[in-house]
Formats: sequence, structure tokens, C-alpha cells
Amino acid sequence: MRLSSIGVRNVARNKFRNSLTIVGVGVAILTFVLLQTVLVSWTSAAKYAAQDRVATRHKVSFIMTMPLKYGQEILQVPGVTKAMYASWFGAKDAKHENEFFATIAVQTATFFDVYDEIQVSAGEKQSWLETKKGAIVGDVLAKKLGWKVGDRITLQGTIYPGDWEFVISGIYSAKRRSIDRSTLFFHYDYMNDAIPLRMKDKVGWIVSRIQDPGQAANISTAIDRHFEERDIQTLSQSERALNTSFLGMVSTILKALDLVSAVIMLIMLLILGNTIAMGVRERTHEYGVLRAIGFLPKHIAGFVFGEAMFIGTLGGIFGVALAYPLVERGVGRFIEENMGGFFPYFRIEPSTVVAALVLSLALGFLAAGLPAYRAAKLNVVDSLRRVG
Amino acid sequence: MSGEKENGQKKSGHIIELRKVSKTYYRAKEKLEVLSDLDLDIEEGSFEALMGPSGSGKSTLLNIIAGLDSASSGQVNVAGSELSQMNDNRRARWRAGNIGFIFQTYNMMPVLTALENVELPLLLTGLPSSERKKRAETALRVVGLEGRSSHYPRQLSGGQEQRVTIARAIVADPKLIVADEPTGDLDRHSADEILALLEKLNKEFNKSILMVTHDPAAAERAKRVHHLDKGRLLETHEGSAPRA
Repeated sequence: MRLSSIGVRNVARNKFRNSLTIVGVGVAILTFVLLQTVLVSWTSAAKYAAQDRVATRHKVSFIMTMPLKYGQEILQVPGVTKAMYASWFGAKDAKHENEFFATIAVQTATFFDVYDEIQVSAGEKQSWLETKKGAIVGDVLAKKLGWKVGDRITLQGTIYPGDWEFVISGIYSAKRRSIDRSTLFFHYDYMNDAIPLRMKDKVGWIVSRIQDPGQAANISTAIDRHFEERDIQTLSQSERALNTSFLGMVSTILKALDLVSAVIMLIMLLILGNTIAMGVRERTHEYGVLRAIGFLPKHIAGFVFGEAMFIGTLGGIFGVALAYPLVERGVGRFIEENMGGFFPYFRIEPSTVVAALVLSLALGFLAAGLPAYRAAKLNVVDSLRRVG
Repeated sequence: MSGEKENGQKKSGHIIELRKVSKTYYRAKEKLEVLSDLDLDIEEGSFEALMGPSGSGKSTLLNIIAGLDSASSGQVNVAGSELSQMNDNRRARWRAGNIGFIFQTYNMMPVLTALENVELPLLLTGLPSSERKKRAETALRVVGLEGRSSHYPRQLSGGQEQRVTIARAIVADPKLIVADEPTGDLDRHSADEILALLEKLNKEFNKSILMVTHDPAAAERAKRVHHLDKGRLLETHEGSAPRA
């Protein structure tokens, strides 16, 4: 037996009360892990965004279009190595009316140069490049809708009405978390050839690869200056800046999530503190006996801290144990499939697990503070007079 | 008071020497004098009892002698140390090495086995685990509970629990054992067993014992019985036990 084990063994005293407290801490930690996973997933698009990509759009709004030829002109800006134009298509599968997924018409020739983190097999890539109606879809979307390579699908256009037929040429995955794996990419030319004349040769945005990521701001400025005197002016930003500016729009939500986490932890701190305080109150006489036989106030405080931190840690482990299967085998995949645009990768990060366990330990420590102080300050004679 | 000073400790034939010890409490502005100018000498190796009505100050006196409480005035010399000059932490360390406690309620830790409960005071000594266990087993053997070492308190009778607390009281080999109503919660048979055990500790292991009791039968086991009333020692007489 060791001194340090006494506090831990005290947890076994009131099994029912302590079990409920552990479950309570566990649920709070589960909530913390889920909220943190939302935050991490939401910010991952900015975190993992390529630093050497610059996105250019209409200066007024991203829903307005630019001339197709801008793509070629951007290539003339010093520092730009590749460029690819794209347009939001907007379509849904009649067989899966309620399933939303992004459909984007892209300049196929330079698509893989600009988005080199998108992975598709050489055969499928070749097939896509050679098939005008070909499309590549993210592995998450393909799994969700049951699409396989070679399948012919018909989508209903929402911006460009009518039935649009596609052949699934390939299924892509992603090397980085910046890419939504629930998108359907297809040839811009296929769309451009089929839409009314007034809509032709217009693109939603142009993405450029640049030589030096450190020059992203300067190159963005140079691109915008290039189109300054045109009827349609542009707004260029590095991909990271673009994603970060998007996060800025939802920063209030992110702060609210942080606040909710903090409030839950505070409530849990009070519940855990109450449990520990009850235990200390019930053991007043016993602590008096321990002090009488020579234990010092620091020992008594140590027992209380040890017990509280052990309960906190057990709660933390329980919470993480609940969160893992919930996210990894359920919620995570559901969110990636249905909200991939916001949460392309909804999985628990190791750093979140470490933070949760450290937090549960800290919760135990903080909850024990006042009860430990009071236990350590007990008057020995008064404690011995207390019964029960 | 006889004896010579040596490194702050005094040597004499007395395990306890009290001189003009007073204890005063203040409740609101009311002064309560629990002990008044009390002198008491108890020889080393003696088994003595403190008796008196409730509120006579016997538990307060026992607490001061055991270093649990401090006197308001006077000198308290126990086991060669002057307690009135010690702060709380020093008194706690002193208690760990010099005093064995037996309380009316047994107060074992329910999550520890009998052996671990006995081992508790040794956790403060720095002894290796194997040595602690060996000494705890020896103490349990002395009180006749060697077969119950792995039992938890809930698996023991009241008398057995009190014997475990006696083993806990002697395991660190203290000079003085103080017992506050050690038989108060026990039936006559168990009480007699506990008293016989205290006599054994006194006679065979030469432990000095000071016991507070209301029970005349328990007091008869002591060599001397001190009677207190209203904070003063009224009389001291021989118990039925033979003088050493």
C-alpha cells in the first residue's frame, strides 16, 4: 500500500454516488469532444488549405460570373504557374431527392495540376479526360449513393434546368483534409456546350497555383490589378485567406460553441466538487483519526485531490470511450456524407482526446480545491468529536 | 520536576509530566476553564486510568497529553518532549513516533483491509513496503488477529475492529498509548478481551497506557486511577492491578 493509493481507493466507498458522478463527467467530456470535433472540423478547411493556391472571383459577389478568358489572362501574372476555372452547376439526383451534394464544372485539363491532393487512379483519370460526360465523385458520396465506376446517372439541373447525363469515370479520395469528398466534378465544356448562349463562356471562379506561397498576397493584388480597368473586376485571395474569411463569417457560432463547452465544464466542476465535498464531510471523523495518528494536513489534502482527480480521469476515459464509437462509427460518417461542405473530415483528433483527458484531470483538481483545503484545515479535536 | 535537558528533550522516569496545566475556552465572551493548574506525573511503563463525570475535563486532558490539543498555560512534557513549544505540524510528527491512539469508535478505513489499516501509521515512516507489512503482521499477531489480515472492517465484529485499532496503535512502537473509552462501544465480553489485551501490552511489551473511561470495571485493570472533576484532579488511588 502507498500513500498515493489511499485517495484512489476512497473512490470505491460510495460506489453508487461516485458512479453517477463518473457518468456525469463522462457525458460532459463526451459533449466537449463532440463540440471540439465540430470546431476542429470546421476550421480544418482553413488549416489544411493549400498555401500556394489563389482563388479569384467576381469582385461584387461569388454568385456572379466572370469571363472564361480571365483564366488564360491570369496565367500571365508573374508567379502564377497553373490556373483552372470552375463553375457551380447545381443538380440533384432524382433517385435521392433529399441528398444534397456539390456538382462543379471544372477545367479538366488543369484540374489535377491545381488540385494535386485529389487522388484518382491513372486509369480512371484517363477515362475521365477522354469522356465528355464523365464525372469523378468523392468516395464518401459514391459510398452514400451507391455509385460505382461505369455507372450512368442522370441529374436534374437546378441552375441549368433539364436532365443531365453523366458517366462515373472515377472515384476520388483526398490526400489532405481541405477537399470535400462528397463532390461531383465534371467537364466544364460539357456544360458550356449545352447551355444557352447568354450563359456561355462564363465561370464562377478561377483557382491558380503559384510558385511562392509567401507571395500569395502580392500575386492576389497583381491579379486584381490586372482586371482593374475591366467591366468585371476581381477579388483574389489565397485559399487559406478565403477559408479563413469564411470562418470569420461564422466566428460567432464558433465562439458560442466554445462558450457552451466552457459552461458544461463549469457545471461539471460544481457537480464533481459537490460529490467530493460530500465525501469529505462524511469522513470528517476519519480524517480526525488520521491527523491524530500523525498524518499532516498535506496528506489529507492529497487524499482528497487524489480521489477527485481519479474520479475526473475515470469520467474522462468514459467520455472518450463513448465519443469514439459514436463519432468514428456513426455520427462522423453521417456528417461527412450529409454536411461534407462544412465538415469534410468529421473525426476525433488525437489532440482532442489528449485535451479531454487533461481537462478531466484538471476538473478533478479544481473540484477538489476547496474540499481539500477544508479537510486539511480541520481541527483534530473537533473532527474526532464528530460522529458519522 | 526532575530530569535533565538534552537537545530539547528531558529524561526522567516519567512518561508524562504536567505542571500547572490549564485549558481555557471562550464561548462568545464567556470564559470556560476546563482544566485548572493541573499537575500530573505518570511513570514510564505504567497503566493508568482517568475517570470523572462528563464535562470533568478528562478527554481534554487526554488530548493535551496526546498532543492533539495545546494547553492554554503550563508545561506539558510527554515522552521526553515539551509539547507546549510545538506547532501543529511538529506535534503531528511527534504523535506519529510517540503516541498510539485507541478511540471509542474504531474508525478503520473501510476500503483498506485489516492489515492495511494497521500499516497506515507506518506509511509516514519511510520504511520499505516489505518491512511495513512485516511489522503490521506482527502487530496483528500480538492482538490475536493474524488470520484476519485480509478482512475488511465490515467483515469484522466490533471487538475485532477494536483489536485492529489496537494493533494500529502499537505498530509504530510508540512510547505511550492513549485510549479514550476503548470499551465504550463493546459488550462486556469483548470489553474484557480488550482490557486483557491492554494489560498484556503493558506487562509484556512495557507500553505506558493512559486510558479515559467511565467504566469502573475497566478502571480496575489500571495500576492507578486519577479522578477529575471540574478540571481539577480530585484524587489518585491504586487500581486493582499490581504496581510494577
